[in-house]
Amino acid sequence: MSAPGGAERPAAASEMNDLLARVAASGDREAFSRLFAFFAPRVKGYLMRIGLSPDQAEDLAQDALLKVWRKARLFDPSKASAATWIYTIARNLRIDAARRLNRPLPDHEDPALLPEEEPRADVELERAQRDRRIHAAFDALPPNQRAVVMLHFYEDEPHAAIAERLDLPLGTVKSRLRLAFGRIRKELGDLA
Amino acid sequence: MTSIKHHPKTETLAAYAAGALDEARAVVIATHLDLCDACRAAARDFEALGGVCLEAAEPAPMKEGALERFWLRAGGARAERAPASTRAANDFDLGLARPLSAYLKGGLDAVQWRRIGPGMEQCVLDAQGYRKGVLRLLKIAPGVRLPKHSHGGEELTLILRGAYEDEIGEFRRGDLADLDDEDTHSPCAIGEEPCVCLIAASAPLRFKGLAGKIVQPFIGL
Repeated sequence: MSAPGGAERPAAASEMNDLLARVAASGDREAFSRLFAFFAPRVKGYLMRIGLSPDQAEDLAQDALLKVWRKARLFDPSKASAATWIYTIARNLRIDAARRLNRPLPDHEDPALLPEEEPRADVELERAQRDRRIHAAFDALPPNQRAVVMLHFYEDEPHAAIAERLDLPLGTVKSRLRLAFGRIRKELGDLA
Repeated sequence: MTSIKHHPKTETLAAYAAGALDEARAVVIATHLDLCDACRAAARDFEALGGVCLEAAEPAPMKEGALERFWLRAGGARAERAPASTRAANDFDLGLARPLSAYLKGGLDAVQWRRIGPGMEQCVLDAQGYRKGVLRLLKIAPGVRLPKHSHGGEELTLILRGAYEDEIGEFRRGDLADLDDEDTHSPCAIGEEPCVCLIAASAPLRFKGLAGKIVQPFIGL
């Protein structure tokens, strides 16, 4: 696993939010093409790590970005980052794909694309600020904790698979995850 | 809503956000999140962490011409119009109002219960779509106590109606018991109305003692 992008990432994150906001506001194709260049390969990489073949991952990454394009007007940059939104779209697509492999099912509407009926303003207000804090807390984790957190999102059977990949006892993986999650939650403590 | 006292473990919420739970367990967690603001906020934090990890991920290059193929598929159409609601989709991510309704046609009152023992009825829901797991509803008549049991794996129990009491405490609507294979308990329905629980398990219950052994064949899935 390569080291996370470090200092350049926050800048990239806000740039991506701006690009997606431009797509949302005016269907800006040039802005979308840049989003595609950044996110499509990352979504594909995520899906391959989680066990899809390169072809399946490529197709599903195309599907995910198509949803981003078609539903961009539902995106509000003050609420969550582009990366978080695109992550949840990709995650839900791959869950649905796995489900369809086992049995036919009427398509669930992707929850990431459904607007909520009633505002829950008190809980949601500080979302964008929380996202930035989570970013910072993740960057501040010790490298061994950061590695298990990333693998947690990238493995299909997280705990056992992480243990195998890092050649660590299962208990160590679980305690590192608990420590990392605890630190991140603590960083957010005064916002909660 | 603030009356909820028992919540999923942090690891369970994180696994939910990572899309790593089996379908049965994901339904139970999503239903709890629908009722619990604090856990919904925590799950969203973990989704944001997923977004951070996506940005930090090692990219896998798309095939030659991927963007051209994308525009061919997207066609000349502009992005879709937003629906009548002024809420943005990313105001929330989990689609919480509907998690259980997809599995319960006609709602809780239309459930076809099957008697499995004195004062106990259950209904197995079809949620085995991807990855093993069993989702079922259990209805316990007031005053009835389940034999002491442990679980062959982790078990999530969400109270939908009524209440029960066990060695851990009192569980009421919205409360969730997140138990692992070492925990044993013998819940007893309390109050006037039957206790209806939504349960996700990876393995059948294991009962201790004679009473449990007799009931086991009926409850074991």
